Amino acid sequence: MKLSFRGGVHPPQNKNTAGKAIEKMPLPKKVYIPLSQHIGGVCVPLVKKGDTVDKGQIIGNVEGGLGCPVHASVSGVVESIEVKTSASGVKTGQIVIANDFEERLSPDIAPIGKSVDELTLDDVIEITKKAGIVGLGGATFPTYAKLSSGAGKIEYLIVNCAECEPYITVNHRLLLEQPERVLGGLEILLKVLGLEKGYIAIEDNKKDAIDKLEELNESKRIADICVMKTKYPQGDERQIIYALTGKELTSGHLPFEVGCMIINAETMAAVYDAVTTGMPLIERFVTVDGDCIRDPKNLSVRLGTPINELIDYCGGLVKEPHKIIFGGPMMGVAQWKMYAPTVKGTSAVIVFSKQQRKRQTEQPSCIHCGRCVGHCPMHLMPNYLVAFAKEGQLDKCRQFDILGCVECGCCSYDCPADVPIVQTIRVAKGKIMEQIRAEKAAAAMKEAEKKEAENKDNTEKTENTEEKGEK
Amino acid sequence: MNTDYTKNPLTVTAAPHIKNPEKTGTLMFDVIIALIPATVWGVYVFGWRALGVVLASVISAVAFEAIFQFFMNVPVTVRDGSAAVTGLLLALCLPVSVPIWIPIIGSFFAIIIVKQLFGGIGKNVVNPAIAARVFLFLAWPTQMSFSSVVGVDGVASATPLTALNKGMLPADGLRNTVIGNIDGCIGEVSAILLALGGLYLLIRRVIKWHIPVAYIGTVALLAFIFPQGDMETWRFVAYQVFGGGLMIGAIFMATDYVTSPVTNWGRLIYGVGCGVITIVIRYFGQYPEGVSFAIMIMNLLVWYLDMFTRPSKFGGVEKKS
Repeated sequence: MKLSFRGGVHPPQNKNTAGKAIEKMPLPKKVYIPLSQHIGGVCVPLVKKGDTVDKGQIIGNVEGGLGCPVHASVSGVVESIEVKTSASGVKTGQIVIANDFEERLSPDIAPIGKSVDELTLDDVIEITKKAGIVGLGGATFPTYAKLSSGAGKIEYLIVNCAECEPYITVNHRLLLEQPERVLGGLEILLKVLGLEKGYIAIEDNKKDAIDKLEELNESKRIADICVMKTKYPQGDERQIIYALTGKELTSGHLPFEVGCMIINAETMAAVYDAVTTGMPLIERFVTVDGDCIRDPKNLSVRLGTPINELIDYCGGLVKEPHKIIFGGPMMGVAQWKMYAPTVKGTSAVIVFSKQQRKRQTEQPSCIHCGRCVGHCPMHLMPNYLVAFAKEGQLDKCRQFDILGCVECGCCSYDCPADVPIVQTIRVAKGKIMEQIRAEKAAAAMKEAEKKEAENKDNTEKTENTEEKGEK
Repeated sequence: MNTDYTKNPLTVTAAPHIKNPEKTGTLMFDVIIALIPATVWGVYVFGWRALGVVLASVISAVAFEAIFQFFMNVPVTVRDGSAAVTGLLLALCLPVSVPIWIPIIGSFFAIIIVKQLFGGIGKNVVNPAIAARVFLFLAWPTQMSFSSVVGVDGVASATPLTALNKGMLPADGLRNTVIGNIDGCIGEVSAILLALGGLYLLIRRVIKWHIPVAYIGTVALLAFIFPQGDMETWRFVAYQVFGGGLMIGAIFMATDYVTSPVTNWGRLIYGVGCGVITIVIRYFGQYPEGVSFAIMIMNLLVWYLDMFTRPSKFGGVEKKS
C-alpha cells in the first residue's frame, strides 16, 4: 500500500510544465528586493541610495532574533529604497537595484574550504544563515533555525519532494535535471546531524523522478525513497510525517518534537550550493502557468525580478488576467499588482482568467453534506467551525480546535455550497489569537501586581524589623 | 482583449483559488436523475395519474419556494434544485389515488413550514418531504390510504407490509415485490430501480454507503433474528426489505444531507437507529410502515450524533517518539 493520510482532496493536477526543462531567465534590468521575505524579523537595509553592490552581497539583515539576511541578486547600483506593500500585504521596505550586467561577484562569497567529513553542524548553521536560506516550498521558515532547534533530536531527515499543489513542477524538474544538488545537500545535512540515512518523500505522479533518484541512490544508499499517494495536501509537513513515520504531530508543535526534520528539495539544493560554493540564495526556480499564459514554463529566476517580466518571457498573456497567484492555487497568495517582485517563497506564478472560478450565490448556505469533515487532514469539523464563527461564538471555536486548522483549503475546494470556509476560519483564528494575547497580557499584569504587592509586604516587614532592631 | 498590465484591475481573494465545479445544484440534479427510473416505473404501473401527482407536487414545491423567497425579499434559490427534489420525493411516497390537492398541500407544508420557516436550505431540522408525508398521513388518513388502485396485473389490493402487519402472507410474489409490480406509493414500489438510483448516487459520490447499508442491514438483521408469520425466514426478511418504503427511505430520504450526520460513524449510528425504529414500529405499532417516523426521529438526533462522533483532532492523542 502506498503511503498516505486520512482526508485530503484530488484537485486536477494540471502539471502542464512537467515536461518543460528549467530555462534561465535573462537578467532583469532592475531587481526589487523586499526587506521582509520570510518568517522572522524584518531586515534593516545595510546599503543606501547610490551605493554600488555586488552580486551576492548582503544588503539587508535582521538585528538579532529569528530571521535571515537578504542579498543583492545582481551587481549594480542601489537606485532607491522605497516603502511598498509586499506580496503578503505588509508594508515593507524594498531595495531597488539597477543592474549593471557585470555579474561582479561579492568578495565575501567563497566556499568554506572544508570537505564534507570535516563540516560541523555549527558550520552549516552559520553558512545557511549567512546565505539567507529559508524553506523554499513556500513556508519560508529560516533553515538555520530548523537546524539549530533540531540538533541532536532528529531521527528522520525528510526531503520534501511531494509537490502536492496543482500546476507547480519545479521540484519535479529539479530532481530530474539536478538531482545531485539535492542528494548532495542531503549528504551534508546527514553528516552534520549524525544520521545514517535520510528519507525522500515523493508523490507517485513523478515516476521519472523516482526512477532517477533510485538509480542515483543505488550506489550511495543515503536515502530511502518513500513513494506516497498523489493527494493534496500530502506535502504538508504533518501529513508527510504521518505518511512516513505514523506519528501525528499536534497543531502548535514543530516537527523536531517528534524527531523529524523536513526540508524542501529546492532548499536542500540551496544548502548544497551555499556549502560548496558559498553562493547565497539569490536565484530560485519558478513555474509560470495558468490559463492566461501563452507558453507555460519553468524558469530559473533571480530574486527580485518583477513578475511581469516572467510573464513576458513566457509569451505574455492570451486572456485577460483576473487573478495572479504566488504559489499554488490551493494555498497561494493572490497579488494585487502585476509588478510584484519574485521573492524567496515564490514557487510559482499562476495567472488565471475570470472563467476559472465563479461564485454561485452571494449568500452561500451550508447544506451539511459533510465533505469538509471527511476531507479535513487535521480531522476538524469545518462546517461547525464556520457556523460558530459566523455567530461570533469564539469559545466554541476554540473548543472545536479551530487553531488546529492549517488552512490547506481542502474544505473550501470541495464545498458544493461555495461557503468561504477557510476565509471564515482564518478571520476567527485572528480574533482568537488576539483574545489569547489579551488573556496572556492580563495574566502577566496580574502576576506583576501580585509580585509588587509581595515586594511591598516584604519591604514593610524589613522596615518593621529594622525599626524593632532600632528599638 | 486587455492584457495591459498597468490598467488591469486584479482580483485578490483568499486561497484556495480553484474549486471543484460541483455545486449544490449539481448534487440535487444527480438525485433527480437517480429518481427518474423509479418515477417512470411508477407512471408505468399506476398510469398517467401518477405523472399528474408528481408534476403537481414538483411544480407546487418550486413555486412555493419562489413565492416565499420573493415576498421575504431574500435571493430566490429555486435553481439549486432542492425544492424540486423535495417535491419529487414527496410525490413518490404518496399513493396514486390521492386527490390532486394533497400533493399541493404537502408541498406547502414541506417547503414553507418545514424548510423556509426554519431558515431555508441547510437549516431545516427534519426532512421536508418526510415531514410533509407524515403530516398528510395524519391529517387525511382516508385520502392517503391505498384504495381504488389498478395495477398492471389488476389484482393488487394491499401492500406487502399491510398484509404482514395483519399477519398474512402477502398476496404478491417476492419477484413482483422486488421488481415493483405491487401496490404501494408511486415511487417506492420498485426496489430494484431504487437500488439502481442509489448505485448511481454512490458512483457519483453524492451519497456515501454508510446510511443505506446500516439502515437496510439493521432492518434485515432484525427481521432475520425475529421472524414473524408463517413463512420461511428469508422470505420474511425479503418482504421487510423490499415490500415497503424502506428502499426509497434508506437511499433517498435518510441520506438527505441537511438532516443526516456529517461523520461516517455518525452516519452508521444514524442508519442503525433508523433501522431499529422502523422495525419496532412495524412490529409493534398501529401503522404497517415506520420508515417516515424512524427517519424523522433520527433527524432530530443529528446534532447529538455529530457531537458524539466528533473526530479526534489530528495528533489529538499525544504520542511520544
